[in-house]
Amino acid sequence: MMRRIVMRRIGMRDVAMTSPAALTRSRAWRGPVLMAGVIALAALVPVLIDKQDTLNLLFLICLHITLGQSWNILAGFAGQTSLGHAAFFGIGALVTRTLWLNGMFFPVAFLLSGLAAVAFAMLIGVPTFRLRGAYFAIGTLGIAEVLRITVSQNLPLISTMPAAEIAAYNLTLRYYVALALALTTIGAAALLLRSSWSLGILAVREDEEAAQATGVNVLGHKLLALFISSFFAGLAGGLFAFQQISYYPSAAFSPVWTFDALLITFIGGLGTIGGPVLGAIFFILVRQRLAVTLVEVHQIVFGILFILIVLVFPGGLMGAWDRLRPRAIAEALRSRRQLHKS
Amino acid sequence: MAVNFVSLNVVEGEILGLIGPNGAGKTTLFNLITGLYPPSKGRIVFEEKDITAAAPHARCRLGIARTFQLVRPFPQLTVLENVSIGRAYGRDSIKNRLQAEAEALEILEKVGLADRVSEKAHSLTLVHRKRLELARALATKPKLLLLDELLAGLNPSEVSASMELIQSIRNTGITIIMVEHLVKAVFGLSDRIVVLNAGQKIAEGKPAEVANNPRVIDAYLGSETYATH
Repeated sequence: MMRRIVMRRIGMRDVAMTSPAALTRSRAWRGPVLMAGVIALAALVPVLIDKQDTLNLLFLICLHITLGQSWNILAGFAGQTSLGHAAFFGIGALVTRTLWLNGMFFPVAFLLSGLAAVAFAMLIGVPTFRLRGAYFAIGTLGIAEVLRITVSQNLPLISTMPAAEIAAYNLTLRYYVALALALTTIGAAALLLRSSWSLGILAVREDEEAAQATGVNVLGHKLLALFISSFFAGLAGGLFAFQQISYYPSAAFSPVWTFDALLITFIGGLGTIGGPVLGAIFFILVRQRLAVTLVEVHQIVFGILFILIVLVFPGGLMGAWDRLRPRAIAEALRSRRQLHKS
Repeated sequence: MAVNFVSLNVVEGEILGLIGPNGAGKTTLFNLITGLYPPSKGRIVFEEKDITAAAPHARCRLGIARTFQLVRPFPQLTVLENVSIGRAYGRDSIKNRLQAEAEALEILEKVGLADRVSEKAHSLTLVHRKRLELARALATKPKLLLLDELLAGLNPSEVSASMELIQSIRNTGITIIMVEHLVKAVFGLSDRIVVLNAGQKIAEGKPAEVANNPRVIDAYLGSETYATH
């Protein structure tokens, strides 16, 4: 049986080979090799470069890849546009910071940030999924804001690392944790997309009623996507708590975390694995640049950029790449044919 | 009330034709059977089990599948993904994705879509989208298949091909209830026909009996033939 499946799959690929799109597919090995190269390079950066601000920038990119990808799992795969993502990030930050600064072994405190976010997701999942579309978006935004205000009222004091911790502060370690987390999140999203669970999750995004009629438990799959999404959002919060020397606890609950995740995913390409990665790199680099030259005004630039992307390139950077690629191939073929003629 | 006091029985292995003028409640009845709408009164029994309270996805897993009047394949997913979902979540579902895909491919061969596996559903023509939806329903391994105007909008040669397909599905032992406006098809395929009008059942029987029933002629066929009332 398995052999037959494999034969069929190969057969399908043979058919595809005759199409121009297959030209790129036959170079499929390039993807993994390129990826391994990028990972190796990213791992070597602290050895090669001794500049703290570069390392800090790369840390931020990894943090935002995690944040964007976690939002993408819920919004891009399951189609549930949550505006309450900051709640999971904030809870993760609060849990890790509190436990770690009170003496808990960091890896445990870090893992608990993800689990605490999932616990909160369990609490709000069923009631919020009674809402759909814009109502779901507003409902989740409301929950996150209630949480932010509650935290800012009850924990108004700035949280600062103890002096000993600051003296021993190691950005390289933080960068490696961030890199490992970003890679884990990307890997988890990719694995999810290959599993049969993702079939149900994507079906829910496409058409809830048709999904039900095809045997998919709609609420169950929304919750599954929410739990995975909130787990990584919580860990991203835990990473933030590990990196910041001092911050107001409520800052981790700011809606900025939600909207950054949304911007990154839309810029890169909603519902794709590569989207949040490209989006995060683009977003952090451009923001860093704009923040220097335009200070606060740079937020407006991102607002305009967001509108332009939704209108002109609904697939984000990934979609733009796909749209331009066939054209590039057709041109290459044409020029080759002309070469043969002459 | 869209459907009122309709008692409908379908016998294992038969094709039951469900006809009636627009707004008679045919699709509503399908929505009640599949659980999309909860009934305000009455019971739905499937294989001697009361499923009135069962969730739609649970009914699908018991063996009730449907197609939609306005086709609803999953538009941004490929043809193979569409059908694999049926195989991975329906009755006797297969959780191994590769195996689910392999069986989905077999079903796609049966409905004649095997050469379009990697195309997105939204890029297909109407007839192919209808076939795809049928394949997705078949992939859930139904015992009872509800076809909501599967033939509407097709040209004559597509209609006869689809009629053969319906017949071959029935020959595999699947019970079918079909809503259809195409008289030739529904009278040609059905073992029995139920006629609905304004949410009420007005006739039931063999195609020949129903065709000659004066109430049916008056309500359904007669609405155009005899304009004087």
